[in-house]
Amino acid sequence: MINPFKPEMAVITEVVKETSDTTTYTFRFKESETRETWGFEPGQFNMITVFGIGEAPISISSGPGDTGFFQHTVRHVGNVTNALAKKRPGDVVGIRGAYGTGWPLRLLYGRNLLIVAGGIGLAPLRPVIREVMRQRDRFKEVEVLYGARTPGDMLFVREFPDWSKHVNLRLAVDMVPPGVKWDHKVGVVTTLFSEMFSQPSNTVVLTCGPEIMMKFVVRGLLHMGFSPDRIYVSMERRMHCGVGKCGRCQIGPRFTCKDGPVFAYEELAALPEEVLGGVGR
Amino acid sequence: MAVTKTSSVPDMVVLSGELWQELLKLVTAQYKVIGPVRRGSEHVFAPVKDPRVLDMAYVTTILPPKKVFHQPFQVLFSFDAEEGTLAEAESGEEKVVWGIHPCDMHAIAILDKVYGVEYPDPYYLRNRENTIIVAKNCTEIGEDCFCLSMGTGPALRSGYDLLLTDLGGRYLVEVGTAKGRKLLSGLDVPPAPRVVLVEKEKRLSQARQRFRKRMVTQGIQELLEENFRHPIWEELMRECLACGSCTMVCPTCFCYNVVDKMDLDLKTGRRQREWDSCMLLEYAQVALGQNFRRDRDARIKQRIYHKLLYYEPQFGTLGCVGCGRCIGACVKRIDITDVVSRLAESVESER
Ligand SMILES: Cc1cc2nc3c(=O)[nH]c(=O)nc-3n(C[C@H](O)[C@H](O)[C@H](O)COP(=O)(O)OP(=O)(O)OC[C@H]3O[C@@H](n4cnc5c(N)ncnc54)[C@H](O)[C@@H]3O)c2cc1C
Ligand code: SF4
Ligand code: SF4
Ligand code: FES
Repeated sequence: MINPFKPEMAVITEVVKETSDTTTYTFRFKESETRETWGFEPGQFNMITVFGIGEAPISISSGPGDTGFFQHTVRHVGNVTNALAKKRPGDVVGIRGAYGTGWPLRLLYGRNLLIVAGGIGLAPLRPVIREVMRQRDRFKEVEVLYGARTPGDMLFVREFPDWSKHVNLRLAVDMVPPGVKWDHKVGVVTTLFSEMFSQPSNTVVLTCGPEIMMKFVVRGLLHMGFSPDRIYVSMERRMHCGVGKCGRCQIGPRFTCKDGPVFAYEELAALPEEVLGGVGR
Repeated sequence: MAVTKTSSVPDMVVLSGELWQELLKLVTAQYKVIGPVRRGSEHVFAPVKDPRVLDMAYVTTILPPKKVFHQPFQVLFSFDAEEGTLAEAESGEEKVVWGIHPCDMHAIAILDKVYGVEYPDPYYLRNRENTIIVAKNCTEIGEDCFCLSMGTGPALRSGYDLLLTDLGGRYLVEVGTAKGRKLLSGLDVPPAPRVVLVEKEKRLSQARQRFRKRMVTQGIQELLEENFRHPIWEELMRECLACGSCTMVCPTCFCYNVVDKMDLDLKTGRRQREWDSCMLLEYAQVALGQNFRRDRDARIKQRIYHKLLYYEPQFGTLGCVGCGRCIGACVKRIDITDVVSRLAESVESER
């Protein structure tokens, strides 16, 4: 019987520091067979093991067209993610996946795409952006709104010039520390709505970020006339298995790990708000 | 249930006195047996070497027999911190669980769905395959039992290898599978006449009249959906200590936590899973201290809504089998049947 809990070994081949607390790792499976057969959809995640510390669900941040390797962009916040911070090229971690639902790529072909991301939430959307760049003519207008706390907290900045050749990229930060030059918007990501060119018609929205951000993003877009059945959100819950067994990730009747993390907005809208936000009243 | 005959052992026998003792002796000599044993004023499922410690008149046990299949602690594999995974946990020997009640069997059928679908769980399934199930119909009804209203007891119709019914000083033993039949193969007994089934049904129907508790299941899903913000949840929050006992004793709860345990050499270790509870604060905590169920009412609701509303879309059945353990285990005696009837009554009186 296949054991879904047993990780495959993967070697870290490259480590790139994104911000003071976030790093992008490039991995390569040790087994050539795994390298050849393994694949994923944009939006899916892996469970990453640091042996002796534990496991954490992390989105895949490379594109599905990037073959022979895959990437994860990790914010160091706790046990596993801080242990990863100590890893160097050549070190080995455990990987199992890819798990969960991906972004509805097929639905995006021939349509306009609006991506709204906050903070680390850009990581699971980078595969979509890379896919758009790889097959630009399959998509119509593509706009990316990205918000972070400060300019120094922005991920993938070195790739922005390249991205901008293919998609309309708009940036916002909550605040600019003194002495830092910033030519873009200051304010929460939704303040970019007033300047974006995306229109409700024929547009699919993908959003990932802090839940409170997504709440205001969805609310704002619905108000502007975007269709609720073309909005997709990626949710975050605690996860101990990734395969619908440990129960940790439940949102109402849904398991975030297998029914999500990407949900059609309408699927979640049917649940009481407390189940989503959780904090009671 | 389809039964394949492996020998001349009949489908149905009645055992009493010496023959019953003989069966217990044979089974405990051949297999590792886990069965109901008295511990102080309560009962537990424990290894049974000497059949005399088996207490077949038990009403309920502290922990459900779920623990044999979904173990409180389960090693997943051992690892070397630098090299990665080493050995997977070994599977255990074949064993017999003796005297499982119908409610607990229904709970196992639910766990079969949780662990058997999509990404089948090899640890649970191995324990299931290795285990012969001797179930026992309930003729004694506990004060917290309400399986009758959940449709999960007091009689079992399927899922057993052998099924026992106490006919008063003698046991009706029905064969469910070839695995069960094997247990009887050392005995030389004639088939029981079909009329004993009349006696069996009489005892079960007497048992049905002895239930003191029931769950109002009619319209329960609608009731819960429409009363997510009912004041009763706040009242319960004030009562509930959020200790997690109700979920720890529940035969259908499946949630677990995973931890890596290092050996003393700090090089090798084991990954292990442990039962977990949605009633505990840390359960829904995510990055940077955000928690989706910080308030206790949200957690009480998670348990009750999960059992009575969300299992249905998840696994096609209600998540409560009416064993009553959560009521008995609660220091404040919060009673899930009472919560539902109070909710129904208050909605009724508003009409
Ligand atoms: C589907 C999914 C995709 C994710 N993708 C990414 C990603 O691409 N990059 C990234 O940096 N992070 C991502 N996360 C969040 C990441 O999983 C958590 O930050 C990580 O699990 C924390 O583990 P830890 O051992 O370092 O922290 P712990 O020591 O376990 O805890 C530190 C803090 O993190 C919280 N935490 C634990 N598990 C989670 C969790 N699953 N989600 C959120 N908070 C948690 C704890 O409550 C605590 O506050 C994702 C989460 C999910 C569910
Ligand atoms: S919720 Fe209570 S009564 Fe229902 S199965 Fe669980 S422990 Fe038994
Ligand atoms: S979510 Fe709570 S009630 Fe549901 S199975 Fe897990 S521990 Fe039990
Ligand atoms: S992460 Fe374990 S059930 Fe979803």
